[in-house]
Amino acid sequence: MTQIPSDQLGDYVEAEIQRLLAEDTAVAEQGITVTRREHMLVLTGEVETPARREQILHLLAEHFPGVAVRAEIGITRAEPPVDAEEIS
Amino acid sequence: MMRIAAVGDVHMDADVVGRFRPALELLPDLADVLLLAGDLTRHGTAAEARHVATEFGGLGLPVIAVLGNHDHHCDEVPGVIDELTRAGIQVLEGTGTVIDTGHGRLGVAGAKGFGGGFAGRCASEFGEPEMKAFVRTTARIADRLGTTLRELDCDVRVALTHYAPVPDTLTGEPPEIYPFLGSYLLGQAIDSAPTALAVHGHAHAGCERGLTPGGVRVRNVAHPVIRHAYALFHINGAEPVEPPREFAASH
Repeated sequence: MTQIPSDQLGDYVEAEIQRLLAEDTAVAEQGITVTRREHMLVLTGEVETPARREQILHLLAEHFPGVAVRAEIGITRAEPPVDAEEIS
Repeated sequence: MMRIAAVGDVHMDADVVGRFRPALELLPDLADVLLLAGDLTRHGTAAEARHVATEFGGLGLPVIAVLGNHDHHCDEVPGVIDELTRAGIQVLEGTGTVIDTGHGRLGVAGAKGFGGGFAGRCASEFGEPEMKAFVRTTARIADRLGTTLRELDCDVRVALTHYAPVPDTLTGEPPEIYPFLGSYLLGQAIDSAPTALAVHGHAHAGCERGLTPGGVRVRNVAHPVIRHAYALFHINGAEPVEPPREFAASH
């Protein structure tokens, strides 16, 4: 994984990435949390399909080629629930 | 007993079609109604709404929806609503509907809602025109939601929103963004009527359960929160929750 200069991984990059994920016309993800770690960004959250996770990674590689990204993005399950909540 | 299924934030596009359908086809045996808590589409296009219609239409039970912020993004709200309506999905915005479930009359009042924050950390209608417009938007939506809830002629009332009416169900989200996730004004509206349950979406990193100051149960049914195709709620006894004393006196 490529290490990037610390001046590239500052507050502004973190903010730009958060906005890019929401505002990019193809991605439009607001549910992904961007956390800055030493020399890398960690993305956490869930999306509906594996293709959407790949879209996010592709977008970041395109716009921030020097930033190392660790994607901890899951795919939300869509099975029926196992029980119902009783509300009285 | 009334049986309610609910999910929000399904963010449909062509790539999601078919993911929910196997679980949804079980619903006629499990629920009296399915509530969709907004962000049904990814960008708010009519084309995406057609995918919502394909996935959530024709299920053999009433489907009631509110829109979310994503459903507004491409400024195609009339087209989105048209696609959903043609599939038999009823879209509420400051409006309500009553369903005869066979176990009693279930009333649903719905509104997208909006932001502003919660007690002690909320926006005020003060200062720049943009700030005042922001708060007024939420106040107007909440006012209409409260009126609709109070006017429903039914045995059990449920409030359906996209934005959160309480901070409880936002736990897990960064506190700094709470004002963009909901407003106490929605909770106040819900507490102004004998509401049995309030469901919302929007907060993907939030948690499932909360309570309004007036004691109404609030459930965050955003898909990434419930991690199933939908959540199921059984409302027993059909006993309406009494409104808090201050609202009973003023309304």
